[in-house]
Amino acid sequence: MNAASKKRCRVPVLEILLLLAGILFISPCFLAVLNSFKTRAEIIQAPLALPQAPTFDNYVYLFTGVKLARPMFNSLLMCVAVIASLIITAPMAAYSLTRRPMATGRLLRLFFLAGLTIPFQIIMVPLLQQFRMLGIQFTYGALLIHYVSWGLPLCIFIYSGFLSGIPKELEESAAIDGCGAVSTFWRIVFPLLMPCTITVTIFWGLWIWNDFMQAFIIMGPRSQLVFVQLWRFLSDKYVKNWNHIFAGVVVLSMPVTVFYLLMQRRFVKGLTAGAIK
Amino acid sequence: MPSHGRTGARSRRGWSHQRSAVASLVLCGPAVVLYAGFIVLPAALGFGYSFTDWTGWSKRPHFVGLDNFRELVADARFFDAIRFTLFETVLIGLFFTFASMLLAIALDKLSVMKGLIRGLFFYPYILSILVSALLFQYLANYREGAINTLFRAVGLDALAQDWMGDPHLVPYFIFALVAWSGLGFFTTLYLASLQTIPTDLYEAARIDGAGAVSVFRHIQFPMLLPTLTTNSVLALITGINLFPQIVVTTQGGPGYRTFTIGYYIYHLGVLNNRQGYAAAVSFITFAALVVIAGIQVALLRRRQVSL
Repeated sequence: MNAASKKRCRVPVLEILLLLAGILFISPCFLAVLNSFKTRAEIIQAPLALPQAPTFDNYVYLFTGVKLARPMFNSLLMCVAVIASLIITAPMAAYSLTRRPMATGRLLRLFFLAGLTIPFQIIMVPLLQQFRMLGIQFTYGALLIHYVSWGLPLCIFIYSGFLSGIPKELEESAAIDGCGAVSTFWRIVFPLLMPCTITVTIFWGLWIWNDFMQAFIIMGPRSQLVFVQLWRFLSDKYVKNWNHIFAGVVVLSMPVTVFYLLMQRRFVKGLTAGAIK
Repeated sequence: MPSHGRTGARSRRGWSHQRSAVASLVLCGPAVVLYAGFIVLPAALGFGYSFTDWTGWSKRPHFVGLDNFRELVADARFFDAIRFTLFETVLIGLFFTFASMLLAIALDKLSVMKGLIRGLFFYPYILSILVSALLFQYLANYREGAINTLFRAVGLDALAQDWMGDPHLVPYFIFALVAWSGLGFFTTLYLASLQTIPTDLYEAARIDGAGAVSVFRHIQFPMLLPTLTTNSVLALITGINLFPQIVVTTQGGPGYRTFTIGYYIYHLGVLNNRQGYAAAVSFITFAALVVIAGIQVALLRRRQVSL
């Protein structure tokens, strides 16, 4: 009882310390927001001060000078296309692999699992060569194909883990009622996989939105995706225009941040689910 | 009549068998085609190219046997890249394995503002590598960056350093960038497994009069060992594959100081048209990674069993 009352009355020292540490930890982000309302000269003079005369010029420049609106739309479209392809192909394959206890099923599972270990550097140049032979080099189609195939091993891994925890009775009764494997999957199994589908959506949505490296290598300068454009715009300049950089960083991180604030738990769960490779 | 029935049954079975084969094809087909065609095939081609002098664009690669691997053994720049990559990997590995464990234990003790405080530490992980790299480039800029401006403002000009240009400091700059973005992620993995520890264990420890240190030693640390294995392997992979962070910050500089293996492969294959040699480098690295990770898992697993 003594201990309990002591616990109730104690000043939350640990909480306060960790809160301060956390705020200090993400202070670069606050700094970016703060400085995005300043001129370049003011940023250099007084990086930590509040803006003297807040200006929206940097943001205006992003949409008039750099024209970021279209790349943002393109990136969003790319996210939607990749996620749609992944949540159709991956659970179907995972279902087929887990529900058929054949040797081939197990072999295929290992085959997909091996993909988790292949680093991008190994495949990048042969892949470019392949796309050239198919006549689709430096196109959105090529990038879409790459993103989907790149995402498949992890998605199949996540889906098959989840599928092995779902009882087969439902599907068996559907099969007795004359439902074929494909329609059983779509009508009975797919709705049950919703938690997985959300995980996959969050993980790959974020990944594709944030990616610039693979998009740039696969599509080259023709890629009109947000982070590729921001990077190209920045690497052109010898002098760094910090004011534009900060505005750009804030705008491009905004959608992700809003989603994160709205559903932090799902986000954290979704992003760490992909970790147990 | 009975014979007719039997044939009917057999033909129905045959039909359903065929139908299930079609179903498998429909279900598995798209994934297998995409994965085999655009991951496995290029990887296999890459392996093949490692025995050629392919430039990446020339029509005909010539078979050169083990020449690339012979060149590799004498390539000083390759060994510099290995040394730098290993240095970063050790820093990153230690930090993500142990610093994030301590942070997780502290965060696990929170009773109020749990979600908020954890959210703060996790946040950098959801940002693009380009965003975190730009923020850090700003902080570390020699003439205009926040850190040096701050030092100069309080009269500590001597502490203002060229964080990205000084060959002795730049490895720590890269490390800080990686550590900042990943800390929340690794911490969350530990937190998840801390939450699976039953509260009666803590109760019992409290009754026995165990302090925080012995609770850590006898309860938390052993329970975290499986996650420690996961985290250290993930940190190893993060370290060995260190690449986009270099492209957007130092581009290997100053000089060749921050060439990681990943950046060296990119430098050879994409920037200098030496794809055959780049493929040899990437396969040797890949093989080494698999071996190291295997040893690491085996060692840590053995530790787990003995507890």
